[in-house]
Amino acid sequence: MEIKTDQFTELAKKELKDERTRIFLKSMPPVLTEKREIGLASLPDIPAAMAYGAAIRAEAIARLPELLEEFEKNALANGAKVFWARDDKEANEFIKNLAIERGVKYVTKGKSMVTEEMALNELLSENGIEAWETDLGEFIAQQLHRPPFHIVGPAINVPVEEIRDIFMEKANMKEPTLDPVQLGLAARLFLRDKFHHVEMGITGVNVAVAETGTIINVENEGNIRFTKSSPRTQVSVMSLEKVVPTMKDALHLIRLLCRNCTGQRLSAYVSMDSGPKKKDEIDGPEELFIIIVDNGRSKIYQDLKARDALRCIRCAACLNICPVYRQVGGYAYGWAYSGPMGQVLNPLLLGLERTQELYRATTLCGACKSVCPVGIDHPSMFLYYRAKDVLEDPDLKGKKRPWIEEKFFKMWGRAAIRPWLWDLGVCMARPVINKDASHGIISKAKGPFEGWFRTRDLPAMTGNTFHERWKKIKKA
Amino acid sequence: MKDVSLFIPCTVDLFLPRIGEATVSLLRRVGVNPIYHEEQTCCGQPAINAGYQKEARKVAKHFISVFGEDEIVVSPSGSCVCTVKYHYPELLADEPRWLSRAEELASRVYELSQYLVDVLKVEDVGASFNGKVTYHESCHILRGLGVSAQPKKLIGAAKGAQLIPLNGADSCCGFGGEFANNFPDISESMLKDKVENFLASGADVLLLCEPGCLLNIGGYLHRNHPGKRIMHLASFLAYNGRENDYGN
Repeated sequence: MEIKTDQFTELAKKELKDERTRIFLKSMPPVLTEKREIGLASLPDIPAAMAYGAAIRAEAIARLPELLEEFEKNALANGAKVFWARDDKEANEFIKNLAIERGVKYVTKGKSMVTEEMALNELLSENGIEAWETDLGEFIAQQLHRPPFHIVGPAINVPVEEIRDIFMEKANMKEPTLDPVQLGLAARLFLRDKFHHVEMGITGVNVAVAETGTIINVENEGNIRFTKSSPRTQVSVMSLEKVVPTMKDALHLIRLLCRNCTGQRLSAYVSMDSGPKKKDEIDGPEELFIIIVDNGRSKIYQDLKARDALRCIRCAACLNICPVYRQVGGYAYGWAYSGPMGQVLNPLLLGLERTQELYRATTLCGACKSVCPVGIDHPSMFLYYRAKDVLEDPDLKGKKRPWIEEKFFKMWGRAAIRPWLWDLGVCMARPVINKDASHGIISKAKGPFEGWFRTRDLPAMTGNTFHERWKKIKKA
Repeated sequence: MKDVSLFIPCTVDLFLPRIGEATVSLLRRVGVNPIYHEEQTCCGQPAINAGYQKEARKVAKHFISVFGEDEIVVSPSGSCVCTVKYHYPELLADEPRWLSRAEELASRVYELSQYLVDVLKVEDVGASFNGKVTYHESCHILRGLGVSAQPKKLIGAAKGAQLIPLNGADSCCGFGGEFANNFPDISESMLKDKVENFLASGADVLLLCEPGCLLNIGGYLHRNHPGKRIMHLASFLAYNGRENDYGN
């Protein structure tokens, strides 16, 4: 996937003009937010359940190195093979070589964000191995060559007519139809054939359990279970923060994940793998590879503030409620991860320099933080990244700010701690700010403040500030 | 009479001073004596939001020196209160003496409606208004301070005022300080949704407790829907909804 995180404003502008995107965004995210609320209402104490989720993730992150070792030990004991990939290249290379060694012509895939991050499909296809996405939304997005619009529903915005056309063209659909059930059936028939002959399946991981070496996937279509159980070789790819200490922790996270994601108490399928098929078992993969992907995360881990980003369980509640996401949708963010969780993660994974607009395109309204089931404080992270830019932080690749901005805040800082200088500054700024004012209102401005005045007025800066009025007020 | 220290945000001081006057008159009406430290400048929110923590830290210390001895500090802005309450302790985390002062001060700073209802236990401030009003839940007031019932109680106690629901009342209006200017396409789209909901509500006046949102929504209404009124809750209560809040 081409990374376009540096084109946020242009991509957002395009989406803001797209009538279909507008109609879609008016309805779907609010519905998902409402579903979440209904789902959460089935918990006896919602704040307690959220606090518990935050505590589980906080502990898991604090003990990450130790938990990963415990997970590996137990996964190996279960008969799985574990490969540690330092970055996307190592992970991709390993999977590609595995596919070549096993002589597979194609693989089926369960929905996985980390393989989007790694651009695994592209590499496999360059090497003559087709990767079939089997999640319905992911399948549609893949056939249309579109990035995900939403981390849970990647093709949630695609109009049904477009799905009909692409299925006629690429999924052997016989009769054109707009009936969602028939469209679903067409995709199932097409993919069922892939499952029948598949020799290698690739999935992500929702939670990995240290104490048992188990990997867990949640889904609603059964395609992940197919991908894990049909082929001889199963490859499960997890970013290294997915691990939690105990099965009890994992089950609580699943409770939260399903409710926050789709409003379900539990997804239709939950599959747990502790190793490949055992001797006395009749089905399951003969070999299970677990790929643990770092790709910059152990560096993030060293930053005590930034590591909070690793708590994320990809529920997408923050996308659905975000007022900016609700205007621009998922394409604008320019990569696999969108919405507030993308604004928190992408700057760490790609560096601040390439993601400048992501952590500035926010009003700091805190809606994301208010719904996060694992206690991520998104606005605080955005402020942290901005501060790292000002410091030109080498670790996070902070980007120097424009000199005029630096100069402004230096002057502002000097004045704000010296009341006489502040008052003087106010007197000097007034005629400049009020240059185009008429009848106490400013309606236009050139230069750096044009953005405000396109559709908004501003009261002129008063000739008689509260400060100046106070002497009179005091006596009244 | 009990003294209460006024924390007037720079947006109010420079662009909307009548909100400050309304705050004074309201406080006097409920029997407290507002005092005003003339050494106050800006709380530092713009610098924190832009990432200039070094400058913000100095400004925070100035603010603490000015307000540090006050028993109660009250402000007609939620986001400025959030700055003092939550960001000062973060900024000064590595300076224990300043940190303890910041934390002490944090517990004594209140947003105006919060102070009236939670501390003074006053709901009826003797205001009256003949008409329908609706209320915008500003982000920092609602999610930052958890204040939502308090303004509604004050509105509900105003004689004749009918508080009607606002669709999407808790969605951001698109202000966000520099965001409104730097991302005008997105900001305007958010703002239009907010204004459409206000127009559809059938209310005569849109009330809120945050000067930033007032500049944003008010600026749009003034340009595009000149007859439509927006008011800070302080002005609404102090002047019985008669004075227009936009402008100075």
